[in-house]
Amino acid sequence: MSVEALLAIIEAWPISVAMRGEIPGTEWLFPIIETLHVMALTIVVGSIAMLDLRLLGLASRNTAVSRLTAEVLPWTWTAWSVAAVFGTLMFMAKAGTYAGNLQFRLKFVCMGLAAVNMFVFHFGAYRQVARWDGGEPPMSAKLAGALSLSLWIGVVFFGRWVGFTT
Amino acid sequence: MFRPFADWLADTPLSKTLQDQAWVVPTSQSIHILAVSIVFGSACMINLRLLGVGQSGRSVSQLSKTLVPWMWRALAVLLFTGLIQTVAEPVRQFVTPMFWAKMLMIIIVASMTALYAKAVRRNAAAWDAVSSRPWRAKAFAILSTLLWLAIIVCGRFIGYTWSFYA
Repeated sequence: MSVEALLAIIEAWPISVAMRGEIPGTEWLFPIIETLHVMALTIVVGSIAMLDLRLLGLASRNTAVSRLTAEVLPWTWTAWSVAAVFGTLMFMAKAGTYAGNLQFRLKFVCMGLAAVNMFVFHFGAYRQVARWDGGEPPMSAKLAGALSLSLWIGVVFFGRWVGFTT
Repeated sequence: MFRPFADWLADTPLSKTLQDQAWVVPTSQSIHILAVSIVFGSACMINLRLLGVGQSGRSVSQLSKTLVPWMWRALAVLLFTGLIQTVAEPVRQFVTPMFWAKMLMIIIVASMTALYAKAVRRNAAAWDAVSSRPWRAKAFAILSTLLWLAIIVCGRFIGYTWSFYA
């Protein structure tokens, strides 16, 4: 089965039809789901930015990185899951259109690179976190923070531009 | 009542310049969302701590000292990007009650936050211990979270409701 056929099948699902507001009573479904997506993504980006700014030495300098991570990351992952669920619902409304949209693709390139960056940091600089926990992070950790911040800014920008280009 | 002013504003050279540049509004909105992430992410972290959720992290006074200044910086960015969007699309903003409800709630929640920050600065020890924390702490946490959520809803729904009133 081709990708186009699969996307067409997804668009025909009743829940996708409802997301397009084509069933009476569902006219406001997409704006509501989109608002919930925005709420969740602000938590994702806000919490990641706190960690990145700490790694860069720009905020929370008197808090240990490991402590901040333990405090923040459970909320990041919870909110990310919520954003992913609502984002998937939005995608289903116009799966074919979004899949072919440049900004949509770039958003997921950014998110993929952010994931790679996270793994590199986690199995690299963060393994020796005890050495620099309370003070100045090493250059590799700063780089991870700068990359993460830039990529998530990219995710937000391209995400917002999807709405203007589809 | 605001319609004549909106029409006049939309006709000014500044507004026309912004309207002619197709990238201005999407870019401003993207920065706006990033700033919302800082404000709402910070507010949630402070409010969760005030409610006693997630005890592993920093004290209330430490958290406020770090995050409240970031909230004011982000709020300044929100004001600036919001102003750009209003000058570029005055009718869209001024005709819908969502916009005015949002402005009113921002004034309320910003005043509440300023009062909160002042109270914590004045008596950090009392706010840090759960037993001696004033009863207002929980009320502030719940009310401010609800206000920020309602502000996000109104913000997103300006775009979905203005055409009914224009």
